[in-house]
Amino acid sequence: MNLAITKHGAAPLPTQYLTFLLGEERFAVGILHVKEIIEYAGTATVPMMPDCVRGVINLRGAVVPVIDLSARFGRGVAAIGKRTSIIIAEIEDGEGKQVLGMMVDAVNAVVEIEPPDIEAAPPFGAHIRADFIAGIAKCQGRFVILLALERVLSTGEVVELSRHAVPLATASSRASP
Amino acid sequence: MNLDQALQTFITESRELLADMEHALLNIDLSQDWGDQGEAINAIFRAAHTIKGSAGLFSLDHMVAFTHVVESLLDAVRDGRAVIDDDMVALLLACCDHLSSMTDGLAAGQYEADPDTVPEGERLLQQLRRRMGAGDEPAQSLAEQPLTVRPEPDVERMGQAAGNGDSDYWHISLRFGRSVLQNGMDPIAFLRYLARLGRIAGMATVADALPAADEMDAELCYLGFEIAFESTADRAAILGVFEFVQDDCEIRLVAPRGKVSEYVELIRALPENPIRLGEMLVQCGSVTAAELAAALAQQSQQSQHPEVQGEAGAQPAQEAPQRLGSILVAAGQVAPVVVEAALTRQKQAVEQKAQENRSIRVDSDKLDRLIDLVGELIIAGARTSVIGQRLHNAELLEATSTVSNLVEQVRDAALELRMVKIGATFNRFQRVVHDVARELGKDIGLAVDGEDAELDKTVVEKIGDPLLHLVRNAMDHGIEPAAVRVAAGKPARGMITLNAFHESGSIVIEVSDDGGGLRKEKILAKAVERGLVDPERKLTDAEIYNLIFEAGFSTAETITNLSGRGVGMDVVKRNITALRGSVDVRSVEGQGATVTVRLPLTLAIIDGFLVQVGSSVFVIPLDTIEECIEFAAEPGQDYSNLRGQVLPFIRLRSLFHIAGAPTRRESIVVLRFGKVRAGLVVDTLLGEFQTVIKPLSPIFSEVRCISGSTILGSGDVALILDVGALLQAVDGRGAVAPAPALPALAV
Amino acid sequence: MSDIGHLAWDGEINIYRAADLKLEVLQALRAAPVLEIDLAGVTELDTAGLQVLMLAKRTATIEQRELRLRNHSPAVVDVVEMLNLGAFFGDAVLIHS
Repeated sequence: MNLAITKHGAAPLPTQYLTFLLGEERFAVGILHVKEIIEYAGTATVPMMPDCVRGVINLRGAVVPVIDLSARFGRGVAAIGKRTSIIIAEIEDGEGKQVLGMMVDAVNAVVEIEPPDIEAAPPFGAHIRADFIAGIAKCQGRFVILLALERVLSTGEVVELSRHAVPLATASSRASP
Repeated sequence: MNLDQALQTFITESRELLADMEHALLNIDLSQDWGDQGEAINAIFRAAHTIKGSAGLFSLDHMVAFTHVVESLLDAVRDGRAVIDDDMVALLLACCDHLSSMTDGLAAGQYEADPDTVPEGERLLQQLRRRMGAGDEPAQSLAEQPLTVRPEPDVERMGQAAGNGDSDYWHISLRFGRSVLQNGMDPIAFLRYLARLGRIAGMATVADALPAADEMDAELCYLGFEIAFESTADRAAILGVFEFVQDDCEIRLVAPRGKVSEYVELIRALPENPIRLGEMLVQCGSVTAAELAAALAQQSQQSQHPEVQGEAGAQPAQEAPQRLGSILVAAGQVAPVVVEAALTRQKQAVEQKAQENRSIRVDSDKLDRLIDLVGELIIAGARTSVIGQRLHNAELLEATSTVSNLVEQVRDAALELRMVKIGATFNRFQRVVHDVARELGKDIGLAVDGEDAELDKTVVEKIGDPLLHLVRNAMDHGIEPAAVRVAAGKPARGMITLNAFHESGSIVIEVSDDGGGLRKEKILAKAVERGLVDPERKLTDAEIYNLIFEAGFSTAETITNLSGRGVGMDVVKRNITALRGSVDVRSVEGQGATVTVRLPLTLAIIDGFLVQVGSSVFVIPLDTIEECIEFAAEPGQDYSNLRGQVLPFIRLRSLFHIAGAPTRRESIVVLRFGKVRAGLVVDTLLGEFQTVIKPLSPIFSEVRCISGSTILGSGDVALILDVGALLQAVDGRGAVAPAPALPALAV
Repeated sequence: MSDIGHLAWDGEINIYRAADLKLEVLQALRAAPVLEIDLAGVTELDTAGLQVLMLAKRTATIEQRELRLRNHSPAVVDVVEMLNLGAFFGDAVLIHS
């Protein structure tokens, strides 16, 4: 199922968010970041990368990395479920525009959230890193955590992780006298 | 061509011309005297001149005004009124830079002078004028002599022996085209230049074409000149003076001791009234009045009997170029000499154009698009082959095989288009070395070798900066001050050498210097101090030298503004690694150092071999594979016996932590990279496969053994192995320890 | 109103100014029977500039007026001499030091 958001009908508004599930919790990202949503159909694993990088997929000829959000949030590698999907997102960082996929347990609806309804992240109680949270909003009676996508999908941070993750066999083998 | 395109062309060509100018300036041998420097000076003048002309077409007044003064100085040099020296070269180089920045401004949409650069421009202009001021002296001395001119036309007859047209002088006839001024050329300047080759013994200015006041366009040229010229120069040299105007000027030469008949021909060829012309020839002394009269009479006689007769009797022969006046002779004979000369010139011009058209300028974007399409073609072709195989249809298989072959040829041809010689990049460094050496107060030269080595244009573009930094580093930290060098018994002049060549599917670029070399102890001490290295570890020399590429490393006592601006060797290494290359340094203390950069020949398409481990498919660059063998290992060891030789191997499954058990019959792919040979243990061999390399997202920049990805005919993604990095795990020394398990991640 | 028109040319007399100078000169020429152009300040004279002077001289002759060139600067002398135009302009070309 390929859902291309926007382009049909009204232009996306900055107040629109795509909500999705990770475990039992609801999260949301600004719709302007979302390029498309696809069904999860496996990924090609890239060796020697931290768990939060699930692998890469072929998106119409482009090789796109997929981030396992569950692992990224420190909850362990995600299990594949019936509604597991990949949200293809675009963020802007120091190196320009990056396109990355985010693996989520299920994708929900697009909702409207006005700025006044957004509160700052609580100092404690949330189960993920504070800097991943852009804010919390109440939507249809439930709390939704708005993600600071540039932090969550930060290429720089992932690269740092991968740097420390695996020293190549070389260094350790050469080190021994 | 719309204005935008024309402007783009102007920008590109100006950049080329400025590069030429810079090159010529750097290579001018100041020890030669003016005569021998001529060609170099001409090249420099040519560049400035052309830019001025073209800038004028676009009404880029700020560029025209600036280049005009540069051109004037160069003119003065050409005339010998100013002498080119070290300082002038530096000044002209600075002018080159200023023009470059103006051109860049143009590219950014700025069609007028940038207020930020105006002061610099002014400063340069002042210096230019000052250098020209030296040339004003000859004119001053002229002013000291009071001068009167007789009101009657001078018949300046120079020493002529009795007889027929024995003038010792060349006769030069010039008729400048209408648009010569608008094309940025000044006839008077050319005459001055001519005067350098000899002496203008006689001159008549032909102003017959000057129209009435109200019809005259002040920007068109209506003048011509008849000149008696005393010189030992030959025809080619004299014509060479007018090289830049040859398209805008009719030039006719009569050699010294030319027969009067030649002058008659000349007169017939020229547009003005022959009587007038005759007078002018006499006036400038090329012929005497008597000679001319006699010859004209003779010609008149001849023409009574025309050789060409039409059907109706004495019909005038058709004259090829219309300007061969029929004034003298009713049935004019076409002057074969002149017409032939004109035709020859035409033919030469056509041939020259043909030569120029052998190369063609191609839009970079168009080329990229072509390569992309070829890439897609390759993938589509692969998919077709896969289907063909699945269907077991012989006819289809043969057809797809033909298609594959053709696609491969198209691919090679397309990639050829992208290959660029590295020479251009190397030669850019001449300027850098020149300027930086001056700045550092050191005497440093640059030698370049392997300029013809070709590499992919994207690689060339990206390798420029890292190479530049390596060169600057060598100049700054490598080459010692002259005094130190001499004390050490070395020549005072330090040498930086750039060399490039192909080796096992890669291009190798070496940056060497004959400076002081790397100081092992110092590097090790610094690395330990910065916590980059465990003090207990014993490192080889090579490992110590390569520490300079680690982040946070710099041993320079003073960080000069060249190399130490926070752009360190670690950034150089990172840039090169991003190109899937490798960098390495060797050194001999006291003698110098060499940095070796190894890069893949192309970033676009790869001939690969597919292997499978578990459910992952990998691509191995075909040119790194020696052979494939069945898996066999010496008991309990990680090496195999390959025809009596030790073959260490790497188990890809354990290296990459791929889950699952290996297949029953594994295979070993025998790889070679540079001097290292090792085997790679995989589950299954899948066969050859040519494909387009898709660069990996920057998120994978730290992954060492993977150099890219590709999409298989099935649509799956396969990763391309970086054999160089893989083999570093073996290093020809034996067993490889599997990589330690990933540590638990703290997020 | 004097009978002699005066113009003074300064600086670089070249193609960039030729069109304007031509108009200026013709206008001045037709405004009085005699026109004097002071050339002391001329630092450069190129072909375009020279042509304007030549045109002016010829026009003066045709229209039976008089054009006098005065105080030829070194740059002007250089050109007039090289192109052998002393006769054409018919002036006494005297340089004051």
